[in-house]
Amino acid sequence: MPDRYPGYDVLQKRHSPSWNDQTRAVIDRRMAIDPDHHAFFSDAEWPTMRAICDRIVPQPPNRLHPAPVAAMVDQKLHDNSGDGYRDARLPPLREAWRRALAAIDAEATSRYGRHFHEIGALLQDDLLKAIQNGEVDDKAWGDMPAKIFFQKRLLHDVVSAYYAHPAAWNEIGFGGPASPRGYVRMNFDRRDPWEAAEARPGREDKARAENARVG
Amino acid sequence: MRRADAALDFAANAALIGAAVLLVLRPRLVARAANSPLLPKARDLAVAGARALVPPAPPPLSWHVSTARQLSRLIASYSPTRIATARALTKRAGRRLNGSSALLAFSVLADSAVEHYRGSFANRAMYTPLVTSALTLGGSLFGMADARPKKHTVRDTIYAAAAATGFAGLCFHAYNVLKRPGGASWNNLFYAAPIGAPMALALAGLLGRGAERVRDVPPRQRPTILGMPAGRALAAVAAGGLFGTVGEAALLHFRGAFQNPAMVLPVTVPPVAAALLGAAALRPNRQTNRLARWWLRFTALLGLGGVGFHIFGVSRAMGGWRNWSQNVLNGPPLPAPPSFSGLALAGLAALSLIEDETDA
Repeated sequence: MPDRYPGYDVLQKRHSPSWNDQTRAVIDRRMAIDPDHHAFFSDAEWPTMRAICDRIVPQPPNRLHPAPVAAMVDQKLHDNSGDGYRDARLPPLREAWRRALAAIDAEATSRYGRHFHEIGALLQDDLLKAIQNGEVDDKAWGDMPAKIFFQKRLLHDVVSAYYAHPAAWNEIGFGGPASPRGYVRMNFDRRDPWEAAEARPGREDKARAENARVG
Repeated sequence: MRRADAALDFAANAALIGAAVLLVLRPRLVARAANSPLLPKARDLAVAGARALVPPAPPPLSWHVSTARQLSRLIASYSPTRIATARALTKRAGRRLNGSSALLAFSVLADSAVEHYRGSFANRAMYTPLVTSALTLGGSLFGMADARPKKHTVRDTIYAAAAATGFAGLCFHAYNVLKRPGGASWNNLFYAAPIGAPMALALAGLLGRGAERVRDVPPRQRPTILGMPAGRALAAVAAGGLFGTVGEAALLHFRGAFQNPAMVLPVTVPPVAAALLGAAALRPNRQTNRLARWWLRFTALLGLGGVGFHIFGVSRAMGGWRNWSQNVLNGPPLPAPPSFSGLALAGLAALSLIEDETDA
């Protein structure tokens, strides 16, 4: 996939008026997450969780600081910080994840005779697609509809964790928190000097030069 | 429709840029065009219109009173001290008008630089007011320093260009408002190109033209503009300009919800000053003139104090002055309030001309 915001690094804004002490503290905490740290998931669940995150939000292998998505979801579950709402067909946050990880691994074992993290990307995708379509029936799911779990819990938690990380912000040209400094030029196709410059095809160098000045 | 818009855009841009380039490279050509025979015809029409608006002359005095007065005036007008005082007064008024033009031009230069930078100079024509207001500022400062009681062709031409740019800018800004979804809605009047802003440049040009007329008066004559006594004409321009600027301040301070009580001042003080100036132009008398003078002085001070209030306003936005790159652009415009000062100073100069016109 071509880099649409070449040379853009949102962390360059660290000492600009866009950030204050609070921003720096929050982002530093997020950048310091150990990708292998897990306080909620058990050692048995952890490889399954990492494999799921790698399939839902795959990251380029050459990325210097990939987003530690599984560890971020783990932190959310460890803190048990819910969203303030949930689909009533699903059990509470922690229980839903525990049950689902056990069920996903059980599906892999019953279908392919191996753990989920051992079956390879292609079969993992097949299994995740089956879950997305509700075409799984292992008794480990209990009364929890797999389809609903995929839509309302798995996608929601994994994708929000990914896009809360500066690595994802750089990818989509997002400027991070709009406070203390927000935006001035609100019209279509206008850009403040502290926003990422999107490359037009063939004009990557221009965007790269502009992105070097962001901050 | 879009193609027609683009063609219109292109033609207007080309004309404006061409005018700016011509003004720099061939000022004489522009001066000659400004003196073409077409202009006097248009001017005669405007004069006829303006005459229709001027109140009728007072009834004639009885013949012996008027003859005696005319005789004494005629004799007095030949007195050398009187000639010298009159010339000094018009010259001084002319230089003061140059000064008010300079202040307006400075305000426009700074304001259009900031606001058009904010607009990313999306339209090339957005550079035009920077060029013309910088020229106007330079010409006006030269006019203030220039003690010769004569008009200066280059200055006069620059002022004409400033007035033309101001009126063209008005059209551009109106087009910018109207082309947005919703057209002339409150939202667009608040957030699209400000309708009133280019008028400050037009006023700088008009007052500058007035300055050049006023300072170039043959002995024993009074300055006139478009056939009207210069003091009255300039008072009308200054009062009209003040009312227009009040409209702009009212719109934007309403947008700001008058959240600071001081935001009421620029929509209450200048209208009184403008009304008194208008009254002094129509029916000058000692008391009206004095009142008008004080209110105009107050307005001039208010324009300078407004910058202080706007500096405070920027500091109150999220991040304050440390976040200047957002707050100077999004906060209250720092260079806007001196427009009031420029117009008030022009009003004061016009007032002294009116007094000279009427006390004889």
